[in-house]
Amino acid sequence: MNPAPDLANGCEGPTTAEEFRRIWPDTRAFHTVEGRAVAIVEAEQMTKVFRRPDKGPGLRGSLKHLFVRRFDDKVAVDHVDLSIEAGEAVAYVGPNGAGKSTSVKLLSGILVPTSGTVRIDGLSPQKDREEVAKRIGVLFGQRTQLWWDLPVRESFAVLRDLYSIDHGTFRQRLARFNEVLELEELMPVLGRKLSLGQRMRADLAAAMLHAPRVVYLDEPTIGLDLSVKDRVRQFFRTVRDEGTTVMLTSHDLGDIEGFCRRLVIVDTGRVIFDGDLKAVKDAFARERILHVETETAVPLDTAREILPNAVVTAGENPTRFSIRFDRFVLTAGHVIGAVTALSNVVDFSVDEPGIEDVIRRVYSGDLQLAGEAA
Amino acid sequence: MNPYLALARAQARSVLAYRGNFALGLGGFLFQLVALLAVWRVVLSNGPIGSFDWPQMRSYLLVAFASGVIVGMGADYRMASRIVQGDVALDIVKPVDYQRARFAEAFGGVWIEVAVVLLVGGVTLVLFGGMAWPGWSETMLFLCSMLLLFPLKFLVVYMSGLACFWTQHYVGIQWARVAVVNLFSGALIPLAYLPSWLAAAAKWSPFAGLTSTPGLILVGQAPGREGFVLVAVQLFWVVTMWLAARGLWNKAMARLTVNGG
Repeated sequence: MNPAPDLANGCEGPTTAEEFRRIWPDTRAFHTVEGRAVAIVEAEQMTKVFRRPDKGPGLRGSLKHLFVRRFDDKVAVDHVDLSIEAGEAVAYVGPNGAGKSTSVKLLSGILVPTSGTVRIDGLSPQKDREEVAKRIGVLFGQRTQLWWDLPVRESFAVLRDLYSIDHGTFRQRLARFNEVLELEELMPVLGRKLSLGQRMRADLAAAMLHAPRVVYLDEPTIGLDLSVKDRVRQFFRTVRDEGTTVMLTSHDLGDIEGFCRRLVIVDTGRVIFDGDLKAVKDAFARERILHVETETAVPLDTAREILPNAVVTAGENPTRFSIRFDRFVLTAGHVIGAVTALSNVVDFSVDEPGIEDVIRRVYSGDLQLAGEAA
Repeated sequence: MNPYLALARAQARSVLAYRGNFALGLGGFLFQLVALLAVWRVVLSNGPIGSFDWPQMRSYLLVAFASGVIVGMGADYRMASRIVQGDVALDIVKPVDYQRARFAEAFGGVWIEVAVVLLVGGVTLVLFGGMAWPGWSETMLFLCSMLLLFPLKFLVVYMSGLACFWTQHYVGIQWARVAVVNLFSGALIPLAYLPSWLAAAAKWSPFAGLTSTPGLILVGQAPGREGFVLVAVQLFWVVTMWLAARGLWNKAMARLTVNGG
């Protein structure tokens, strides 16, 4: 029986670049043809249709359904074409019910597409499920792959054996993850006793333990507090820098910013944008809202006069109000300066629009992104 | 370590996590055993009915108890709830065969069930007097039959768990399974007491291997060739159901939906 890994026993992560590449292969290296990266994940006309019972309202409807079965087809993913290159980091965003999770489950081989094809590393996840499983890592923010009734270190040991990772490599990888995720303190804790933040740290390590070529992160920071979020984000940035292909779905702009260059927006199962994240942000997430609290009441009309390019709205009492402005027209400093001239500012905060705001405006037809699709 | 062994070992360690729940679940089987022992003792007090006398019935009921406990203490709930909750998504992205992995886990968890069976069997025999052992060859055949009981019970439980892919709920399936297994395996009453047409159907069904086959061999009611035939039928069903379960799994995968997260 092999001893359980114990980070406290002075195991160190790799110290040289060469050693590091031994335990952590660069996926980009496997997927280049004549120096050019090739697709590692490919979806062609990927479609998923769910059949759901169409019951009439109330008990009557339910009873009727027992005898006359009617079903309704819901198209969750609608003819999606997507190609992700090795080493690429892609954010997949969309509102609830847009088909994000379903897409991830199709692209990782969990669900079978109703029509169209998915290939991972050239393999069909349905025909070569076990081969594909070795090459992908999956993290679902709302589920855990840790063994509920075992200490975290035992869960890792089981995963080590499931993926046939040799002991030396395993220890070195864990030691490396430990640097960012601080796993050491979690090692003796039972899976079910972990807090959400602890669980996510352990789950991230679990998803990456076999150095997958592609990793799918589905809402990896959901419900986490800021400090854990930062750590988790730092971890997946590290992973990306080391050459792992990452596909991330999230509601949280903070996850996406500074992480990936490519943004895919989905709505009602269709890809409505696929292109450069920065371009979208520069173009559309330019609005800022400054919430101000002043010492004395400020007449809003005066404020409007001195800030003609902004929209001033009243707050819950006369000393509070909000100013909406375009960050390419005004700066926050300028706005604060203008308000200070009217009264002393006691407190203020700035709202930045989330990617969701951008997306919402895309749906409402305010924004035309389609022309920008890469 | 072999991946399947690793899963078995993880499960072997996990079974101790819910001792209270295990004890309560066990209580259910124990009460049933005690009740059946009490009833049959009265019924058979005036001499044998049909082919069973009281000492035979005692041994037979112990086999029925064992067949209830083996792969019966939570393995079914575990498998079913992973499917109902959608955690099965994470099992699909593991580089192991799903069915073999679940089999390995059931195997890992069986040690405590076997320990309980041996303990309860021993205590019962002490309290109610010993049992008549059949000859050597029958004993060996009985042990083979008990060994086959494990994969057979696993497959019955596993396939009923897979049914959750269609029903999205387990309780109804479990009740149906328990009712069918109790009747057709002879766990509630020996098949010989059923109407002959039903007894014949049950005898060749996969369920007979769960109690009737090892039970009859143990009490000496399936002597010689008949015992071998019954064990061969048991083996046939293990192989057939293993393949059928694979087919069922493939069908389930094609229609899998995992909602939320």
